[in-house]
Amino acid sequence: MAKKSVWSDNRFWQRTAAWITGFASVLLIWLTFDTSAQISMGTDADIQSGVTKRVPGPTVINYKIAYEFNKKRQHEIPVIGGMNAEGTSAFQEKEKFFGRDDWSEAEASEMLRLGKLGSQSKNCMNCHTLLGNGAYYAPDLTKAWLDPAWGPTGSMQAMTGKSTKEEAMAEFLQHPSQYPTHSRMMPNLGITAEEAKGLVAFLKHMSSIDTNGFPRNFGKIQGAVNGK
Amino acid sequence: MVDEALMSRDILVDDFLTIFVSSTLVLIFGGFYVGIYTAVKVKLLKQWTMPFAYLFWVLTAYCLYLMGSLMHVNELTAKALVVAAIGLLLLPHAVYYMQDHVHQENEH
Amino acid sequence: MANSYLKSESKKLATWYFTVAATLFGAQLLFGLVAAAQYVIPGFLFEILDFSVARMLHINALVVWMVFAMFGSVYWLLPDETGIETVGINLGKLLFWIFTAAVTVVVLVYIFIQVGAADETSIWFIHEGREYIEAPRWADLGITVVALGFVANLFMTGMKGNRSGIVTVLMADMIAFAGLYLTGMFYTDNITVDQFWWWWVIHLWVEATWEVFVGAIAAYGLITMIGAHRKVVEMWLWIEVTMLFGSGILGMGHHYFWIGTPEYWWEIGALFSALEPLPLVAMFIHVLYDWGKMQGEEDAKGQEISVITNKPAFTWFVLNAFGNFLGAGIWGFFHTLPQVNLYTHGTQFTSAHGHLAFFGAYATILVGMMYIAVQGKNGIKVLNNTKSTIWATSMIVGGVVGMTVALTIAGYSDVIISRAQMGATWAGYFDAQATTWLVQGMVWRLLMGVVTFVGFIFLAKDLLTIGKSANHVR
Repeated sequence: MAKKSVWSDNRFWQRTAAWITGFASVLLIWLTFDTSAQISMGTDADIQSGVTKRVPGPTVINYKIAYEFNKKRQHEIPVIGGMNAEGTSAFQEKEKFFGRDDWSEAEASEMLRLGKLGSQSKNCMNCHTLLGNGAYYAPDLTKAWLDPAWGPTGSMQAMTGKSTKEEAMAEFLQHPSQYPTHSRMMPNLGITAEEAKGLVAFLKHMSSIDTNGFPRNFGKIQGAVNGK
Repeated sequence: MVDEALMSRDILVDDFLTIFVSSTLVLIFGGFYVGIYTAVKVKLLKQWTMPFAYLFWVLTAYCLYLMGSLMHVNELTAKALVVAAIGLLLLPHAVYYMQDHVHQENEH
Repeated sequence: MANSYLKSESKKLATWYFTVAATLFGAQLLFGLVAAAQYVIPGFLFEILDFSVARMLHINALVVWMVFAMFGSVYWLLPDETGIETVGINLGKLLFWIFTAAVTVVVLVYIFIQVGAADETSIWFIHEGREYIEAPRWADLGITVVALGFVANLFMTGMKGNRSGIVTVLMADMIAFAGLYLTGMFYTDNITVDQFWWWWVIHLWVEATWEVFVGAIAAYGLITMIGAHRKVVEMWLWIEVTMLFGSGILGMGHHYFWIGTPEYWWEIGALFSALEPLPLVAMFIHVLYDWGKMQGEEDAKGQEISVITNKPAFTWFVLNAFGNFLGAGIWGFFHTLPQVNLYTHGTQFTSAHGHLAFFGAYATILVGMMYIAVQGKNGIKVLNNTKSTIWATSMIVGGVVGMTVALTIAGYSDVIISRAQMGATWAGYFDAQATTWLVQGMVWRLLMGVVTFVGFIFLAKDLLTIGKSANHVR
């Protein structure tokens, strides 16, 4: 008979399982506290005082948003209100959103809330991806606000006959099945004018979230990748 | 933790297929290694097949190396991959050693 | 549901759970076929049962049938493990009916109401629009009550009867399983915070608590089906728990690469994801080892008899060991490191992985448990395969593997065109969708989906009739 060894002792393994699980859980909880602090939504005051948050406050919709390569971080980051000397957000350059660039914090929060609720109740995530998560039946919405297709020379904006990006998006969201975008069309989801505005605010806000460089090389056309 | 950038270089378009195939082979070869080792130990396979088990482990390690270098992984990830490779090498030994111990204690 | 062989009320309840689970499995496949068809024929059921609705039903039916089958499995094994009748069995039966009724209402609302206005009422009564856990909030609360009742029964029985290692693991695991659901119920305007907690439910279920559950069920299966030694199996179970929770809990990092969370998750996710396949490899060896060992002992006695007392279930258990390694292990590993996930995140690759992993890791073993229940219900000593078993198994496995391969090829095209070359724009997305590989991939996926569905019909027929077949040892 073999000697009793600790390696074949049930109690030893039971305790190991408990300790390892406990340790991993504690580490996860600790990291959750740290991450939660970093991903809490910023405020208008943060934007006013030039504080970059990973998830900026709702009034970010008053500013121009871009997605530029950052040398230090070696990937693209959202740049809000123009770029400063360090290559990060300057929070200066404004951009009109539905004709205004002075949406108050309360108004902007209200719109964002409506948009976020809309994104859930209209089930966006079961066709599109948000931050890369969801279904793959329709394009990713993470940086949809910055997509060239919706820009001044883009096909989507031209199709709706509107003169600004936000109006084009809102128009499309309200009557998606009127516009022949692709053989796979977006169905009419009964989105009202107010809800559409909220959804566009939600999309603009989402494009300002720091996603660690996802998606990579966004908007660069073929060849740019190999050319680096 | 992130003083060295993780994504310093883009993956080349032509490298994607090699990356996907080699990372798949990592686990397939790894599975062969573990499978052959265990099968020999429980006498489902003859003893002379054992060197093939280790050959598969070497292939696993090579595929990990190939995958890691084409992905341009940073130092920390590279270390994690080495740990995973060594872990895989030791795993069936440890498992067999323990299982055999318990079996002997219970059957005699 | 009436029969003469089951004396235990707990086992009777288990068969109810399995019946509903199998029905929902069929519904899952059916709505999956609708969604798959919409990729091939875009106008199919447009504005009647859109892709979003079909897919929501597809993935919700998946989650719910698995939860039903998991509850069923626990009610099935409890009397064997503890040696007593399950405590609170009447509560268990009541909760079963509440659960089934709630699921029916939710499904009807999904199909007939589909979307609501952008307000909290929709979140409460229609759906929450969050992938996998779309159930409206009233149902969330209901599910919590049902899960707590189930956990209470498990605890009361475990504490009163003989608390085996398997029961101990299940007790710890199921309380975590129920508790984690709570983290996915609240609403927030912050999409990053939303997805952060959403993964607490999805990841910690699928890559931690469910995997441990599978370990416990596999342990039970090895003991009942091939007479493996309890002490070996239970020691092994503890090692599995160590490895699965040790790698799986922090493996969560691989979902936090791109949702707005800090960069340190790259390192954590990469490290623990690289370790995540190891327990799956280990589980695979374990089944092989025990089978070899037990068959070896039998052969040594000079008898040419198989040690397996339930051939169909054992086949599904082996498929589980293999499928878990293949679907969760290989198909997970090749796009898990952040360097490559940057390009593969949210493409058809994810879909390929999802199909094979859910099937390989969970569907297989739960179908195996259904066969164990059929054996027990009909009082059969050795359950052998029938023609239907073989057709069902090979068509379902072949179909799912075929879908996975098709989606992987489509995914490769998706990654190269839309991500590596076009930088994930809308134009890039649609260019990738139009490539021959992706278009053909979707056709093959649909065909393989049909194969899977036909396999399911054989499976349903087999589960209902195999007990009456004459080729078993009674």
